[in-house]
Amino acid sequence: MAYITGPDVVKYACTCGLLKPITHLYFCRYCTQIRCSFCVCHEIDSNFCGKCSENIPSSEARLKKNRCGNCYVCPSCQQDLSTRIASKGSANPEEAKSTPKKMYYLLCQFCRWSSRDVGIPDQSTVTGGWPKRENVHANRLQELVDSYKAIILASKKHQQDKEKKKRVKCLSYTDRTGVTAAAIRKRLGLPADMTHPMLKNRPKNPEPAKAKSEVEDLPDSIFTEPLNLAEIMSIEQRLLQPEQQPTTVDKLFPVHKQLSIKRSLRCRSCEHNVSKPEYNPNSVKFKIQLFAYYIIPEIRIVTVEPLRSGKTSELIVKFTNPTQHQTTITFFELDLDEVESVVTEEVAEVAESFEQSLYLQEKQQLSLPSLGSLSQPSSLLASRTPSITVKPRRIKEDLNCKIGIPESSFILLPRDDAAEYDDSGDSHNIQDDPKLVKWRKSNKAFIRLYVTPNEDLPLNSEVTCGFVMQHIYTNTITSKVENKEPQQYNHKVKVFLTLGNSVGCD
Amino acid sequence: MPIYESLSSDKLSVVLDIGAAYTKFGFTGEFSPRSIITSEVLCSKTKKLRRIWDYESAEDLYDLLVDFIHVIFFKYALLSPKDKPVIIVESLLCPTTFRETLAKVLFYHYEMSMMFILPSHLVCLASLAIDSAMVVDVGYKEAVVIPICYSFPVVKAWQALPLGGEAIHNNLRTLLSSSNTGIQDLPESTLENIKVRCCFVTKKYRADQLGSAKPEIATCPDVKYPIGGAEHMTVTGKVRERAFELLYEEDNDHLCLSTMILDALLQVDRDLRQKLMGNIVLIGGSVMVPGFKARLKEELEMQLKNNRYSKLNISTIAFHSLPCKENYAAFLGGALYGATELLNMKSLTRETYFKENRLPDWINFKENVHCA
Repeated sequence: MAYITGPDVVKYACTCGLLKPITHLYFCRYCTQIRCSFCVCHEIDSNFCGKCSENIPSSEARLKKNRCGNCYVCPSCQQDLSTRIASKGSANPEEAKSTPKKMYYLLCQFCRWSSRDVGIPDQSTVTGGWPKRENVHANRLQELVDSYKAIILASKKHQQDKEKKKRVKCLSYTDRTGVTAAAIRKRLGLPADMTHPMLKNRPKNPEPAKAKSEVEDLPDSIFTEPLNLAEIMSIEQRLLQPEQQPTTVDKLFPVHKQLSIKRSLRCRSCEHNVSKPEYNPNSVKFKIQLFAYYIIPEIRIVTVEPLRSGKTSELIVKFTNPTQHQTTITFFELDLDEVESVVTEEVAEVAESFEQSLYLQEKQQLSLPSLGSLSQPSSLLASRTPSITVKPRRIKEDLNCKIGIPESSFILLPRDDAAEYDDSGDSHNIQDDPKLVKWRKSNKAFIRLYVTPNEDLPLNSEVTCGFVMQHIYTNTITSKVENKEPQQYNHKVKVFLTLGNSVGCD
Repeated sequence: MPIYESLSSDKLSVVLDIGAAYTKFGFTGEFSPRSIITSEVLCSKTKKLRRIWDYESAEDLYDLLVDFIHVIFFKYALLSPKDKPVIIVESLLCPTTFRETLAKVLFYHYEMSMMFILPSHLVCLASLAIDSAMVVDVGYKEAVVIPICYSFPVVKAWQALPLGGEAIHNNLRTLLSSSNTGIQDLPESTLENIKVRCCFVTKKYRADQLGSAKPEIATCPDVKYPIGGAEHMTVTGKVRERAFELLYEEDNDHLCLSTMILDALLQVDRDLRQKLMGNIVLIGGSVMVPGFKARLKEELEMQLKNNRYSKLNISTIAFHSLPCKENYAAFLGGALYGATELLNMKSLTRETYFKENRLPDWINFKENVHCA
């Protein structure tokens, strides 16, 4: 398993231009393109608590501020707190025979902090109505929010009224007859209404805060009394409770545990999911898992001869076919400059396509009412605005080693899980180029390649080579739907191998 | 996204204040940030934590921000960022590269619908309901003073000095290594903890005494600070009191925290000066240390007696106390602004951003034409 967690020696180029090991890549079946976590759209599927594994609906999670209602973490070391039972005898000695009452308190098994340390009384229920701390300024701040909302609403309304007035030229019927509000007031003998319309029903401004010229001075005890470090909290502990930010340990309160999420990933260009987990928090399975590891042949380095600058060395790599379909592997020369020209072309396309999509969007909005019956593919996803495809970047990798591209191609047999138990030996009947294929077994093949590090390569520098691998990708989606033969595509992947450091001449 | 979620009346939008050391993240209409996290991401290449403000280029920053915003949304906010508005609280002196890259990340990579950018110095007054104040922001990298007059930041009077958490940590490192032999490379997190747990801002007369060759006062008690579990280090009383002194010691240009405030005041119309000095608001994490306000007042009073500032004729100096902790004061302002309709009225939408292909900024002449 070291190759998964260890250094990434074999890297595949994602469509977006980033190099990643195959375990970090996805393959969109609909676009037949490689995707990675950088170039897909992440979405939140479900919320759950990591301790009690309870699935929490998003509306409830929002209400509880993305925290679990029942689980707590230690305010001192951030580990999960566990609930402990303490039996408490009755206070009255005469009733000593009665069953002791169960009381609960919270304890951290790691740092031994407990809710009793800060004087929180033991609770009689397991979930416990553990006391919450209120923000002392909450009332004042709520008042401010309400008045700000009112002020902004009033000014918005005022602005809208103004626009309305501009539109309606003929103000009212009374204007034509000459009986205006001002004229009526005059006739009735009332003083003219001088208040500005803005001032009428104007929301009240909040009371401004008063500044004080007396400031809190340092207590004199700070200069004389020794400091007990155990009582003063560290910055991490303070920031765990952002509202209070307590400075001394006696103000530590248990903190509700932050919820975790399950994520689904969506391809940006075709809006299909490339990964979707099951809802159940206990399940580690997926509903949709289009991992590149299941589709694209995996390459591992088996052996490489010592690498010397300018000298050719033999490299043996293993190809594994993860699919149920036979595939043919062909090698091509990797040219990064060529890549760039493709990229720039695509960039221009992206810029155009974006404008087009904006235009389409507008058009669609206009046309939808009249042409509602026309089913457009994107109208299925009406709630989602189409994603923007981020332009692919240039691959950042300097190749300092040439690789001899073999002219012949070879076949990789489909994966057969039962082959391991088959003792009948290799019964395949494939005419292999003996120069290329060193050995093969079931869906694996060991391939011999020749690499030549550049002449000007200094000693002990990392040798990197790259090639383009073309494999046949068999698309099974359409065949299932339309009962057709599975479609086959030639799919090209750029592969980069880090072969190790170069050594001196012998 | 379920359909009822979009119909619920109280929409929560994310408010972000990306500071040099800590990022304050929360939702609109809430009075404290959900979490305060370090502005760092794990670099995928080197497997080390990297501060996002230590970026090398715009492309580098783009990658750092993509990772960082991902952590905020999927670890803390638990919200799909697509088609959601976001409120960004930032300093008026925020570098253009940073602002533009952030907008690019939010609009292109995360496809957010709206971005509401608020200047931190202005919005922090929302929680006090005042419209004129001298706002002093002492953060990690620098201290920035910008006077706000009748809800307008007087940007021409801005003052900034590299006095903040970073400078204090460096000062503390030198002080500690001179008093403890063998202790050289303390990590920044340890220094920060020593700072918040042991150090404080002392009084002026004590600072003068400690600065002289033979102090006539007894220093405060030493502290034995554990390092790495097994070792101890002595944080002497002198170090504890002197760690913050560089904020008040005038540098070669005769500038320090107190002169910054008064220099900013000199740039403001003289009718407003007394009003501003009667409304000083201190924000930023570094002002939370005990004794900071008292010492600043002492220093300001002393400086006002100086020839340099005697023409200011200030009679009283008054400070506001915020209804929150100072380190998230700017965030709180953003949350209050974001709770109102202003979010829908004044935000920069994705469509406008793509059409104009630029981010509005106060230094841009185009924005200032409308005001005239």
